[in-house]
Amino acid sequence: MSQTQMMKGIIDGCLLAIIAKKECYGYEMAESLSRYGFDTISEGTIYPLLMRMQREGLVTSVLRNSTAGPKRKYYLLTNEGQQALSDFLSRWVQLEKCVNAVIKQEN
Amino acid sequence: MKEKQLSVKSEKFIDDLRVYLFSSGKNDQEIKEITEELEGHLHEAEQNGKSIDQIIGASPKEYMMSISSEMKTDYRSWAKYVPLIIIGSMSFTIFGDLIQGTLSYSIFKIIGTLVYSILFFGGVMFAYRYVARNQVSRIMEFFILLLPIFLSMLIIGGVLFVDSIYKTPMIDFGIIGSWVIGLFLLCFIILFSVWAKTAILPVTLLALHLPTFLLSFTSFNVVTQLITSMVIAYVLIGLYLFYTVKKAKGNKEVIE
Repeated sequence: MSQTQMMKGIIDGCLLAIIAKKECYGYEMAESLSRYGFDTISEGTIYPLLMRMQREGLVTSVLRNSTAGPKRKYYLLTNEGQQALSDFLSRWVQLEKCVNAVIKQEN
Repeated sequence: MKEKQLSVKSEKFIDDLRVYLFSSGKNDQEIKEITEELEGHLHEAEQNGKSIDQIIGASPKEYMMSISSEMKTDYRSWAKYVPLIIIGSMSFTIFGDLIQGTLSYSIFKIIGTLVYSILFFGGVMFAYRYVARNQVSRIMEFFILLLPIFLSMLIIGGVLFVDSIYKTPMIDFGIIGSWVIGLFLLCFIILFSVWAKTAILPVTLLALHLPTFLLSFTSFNVVTQLITSMVIAYVLIGLYLFYTVKKAKGNKEVIE
């Protein structure tokens, strides 16, 4: 349970980083995540996260026509989203440092 | 342009998600947005040879709940059905009685009918939520949906029975009062149909009155007529609600 919670927080940060690079739609994000190695999580997991991030004003969305099929919802980062991303990055660097330190000491 | 359709399993999941969110009192527009987004995702995923299980995980129920918990509950999307059910079931009695004379009801019957209408609506919504979340088969779905309809009929039967035994104060509306109520109901129904852009009220009224009217020509006794027409009416209304929710997929551009 708590592992899932932690995972969600990490995926939140990764989604922000992916969107920061270029605006993209859900399927692209899922593909990116899986390409980077997050292939054990089910793709749909990102939607509740995106919904929350949108509600919190971290991302906005815009509908664009696609070459095939229905319109796609593209996500963009807001200023708050930028801020959340840099917060995440500094927390992550800190966390990584701590975890590495512990592992090095204990082994 | 021809478009490849979603697999049956994905199609059912999207339908069930829509019903689940609707019966959980979520906002119509938000339901439309998320179901369209997921539909697009499933579409693209299936074209790339992925199965729905890779998208929504092992438990559709949990996935639906995780989506639902990120949406704010907005009972306004229900609001159009609540007065409909209450006035619909009341107009059943009221219009029927108006044909025979003036309106005169016991307090118990008025309260009983109100409570029953709310329970009926709540029960149907609860049943929809249950069947959608648990992804039951179509046949099970039908029987589960019949349950609240059946239960609410027992309740109204009980109300009528108790009302015939225990006398509570009567409210007599007189000729003018009765016609005012009748007219008010008629106006309400017309305005409501226009506002809500739905044919559900005419359907409801026909479901309520046509069987009664037709049965009055039969030789059944009054109680049998009453019960039979009520059964027919509520099954029709239940089916219509079912049809409406299923149709809520609205402007979906699926081409066969």
